Amino acid sequence: MELDNLKTIWKEQRTPVQAADTEALSLLLRTRSRGPIARMRRNLRVEAFLMVITYTPTIIAYLTLFDGRLSKISLFLFAVLCFYAVYYYRKDRLLVRMQCVTCEVRSNLAGQVEALRKYIRFYVWSGTLVILIALVVAWATFRDAIQAKGFPLHWWFQPVALLTLLLPFSVGLFYLNKWYVNKLYGRHTERLRAMLRELEEGR
Amino acid sequence: MYGATDPDRQDLFQEIVIQLWRSYPSFRGEARFSTWLYRIALNTAISDLRKQRRHGPAPDPEQLSIPLQDLQYASDKAEQLQQLYAAIDRLTEVEKALTMLYLEDKSYQEMEEILGISQNNLRVKMNRIKEKLRKMTKETAYGVR
Repeated sequence: MELDNLKTIWKEQRTPVQAADTEALSLLLRTRSRGPIARMRRNLRVEAFLMVITYTPTIIAYLTLFDGRLSKISLFLFAVLCFYAVYYYRKDRLLVRMQCVTCEVRSNLAGQVEALRKYIRFYVWSGTLVILIALVVAWATFRDAIQAKGFPLHWWFQPVALLTLLLPFSVGLFYLNKWYVNKLYGRHTERLRAMLRELEEGR
Repeated sequence: MYGATDPDRQDLFQEIVIQLWRSYPSFRGEARFSTWLYRIALNTAISDLRKQRRHGPAPDPEQLSIPLQDLQYASDKAEQLQQLYAAIDRLTEVEKALTMLYLEDKSYQEMEEILGISQNNLRVKMNRIKEKLRKMTKETAYGVR
């Protein structure tokens, strides 16, 4: 059977347009969107909320307890919280830009591929940077602690130790992040790219 | 055409309705309503791929949009139709989109407005799809590989 035969059958079998069941429709519209982008945005909001409710009491605790001797840690945690606020905002904006349902299919796909590329790059770099910053702060705290105990530190010790520790760690962390993000979004990105290639073929 | 199982298709239908509802305020009548509607439906179907199974089981004749038992066709015709549906199910997502628009009797101009690819390219693609389907149904019918 040819596609044209099916087209004829398709036309013949077309059911007449019926009035929408408003109750069923309103019930359907009350449910939450289960699309991947809507779910990603919801997860992001949950993540941000958890971050705020866990970090805020910790920051307050470090500020007020131990006569404020550990207030440096609360400052660091506050900086991390600020970093994550920017991080979540940026991720959310990228997710919003990821889908344009009313656009032409090709331009929507092109937009999704581009936004997803930026999203992944941002995910990898921010994930790597935040851990590195945490390591540097931990190092500074450790240095302060041993200097406070009168332990002498040579001027060359800090850069050498930091480089020896951070360089291989950052490279490893970068590739680990890359692998993880690729595991999360790799197949989806590849499928979108393949569809875009197919659409653009012979343009 | 999109969605491997019945729940997948129901989810997709629901998602399309939600997207249509949300996007309606932005509809300015610059394109035809049907063009706008098909854009939303196809963009949603394509974005939804992430949670769908790539290859579902061959479509059950009773679940097809045109139930075979409703068709007054001889059994060989029904079988041919089933083979064609199975072949369509094996097409890529882009090819499925084109096939759906073709079956819905959309002009190449409207297809261009929905998909964003030139009419010449659409004609070439459509001929390729028809040829591919012909080949696939022949393979199934005669067991040729």
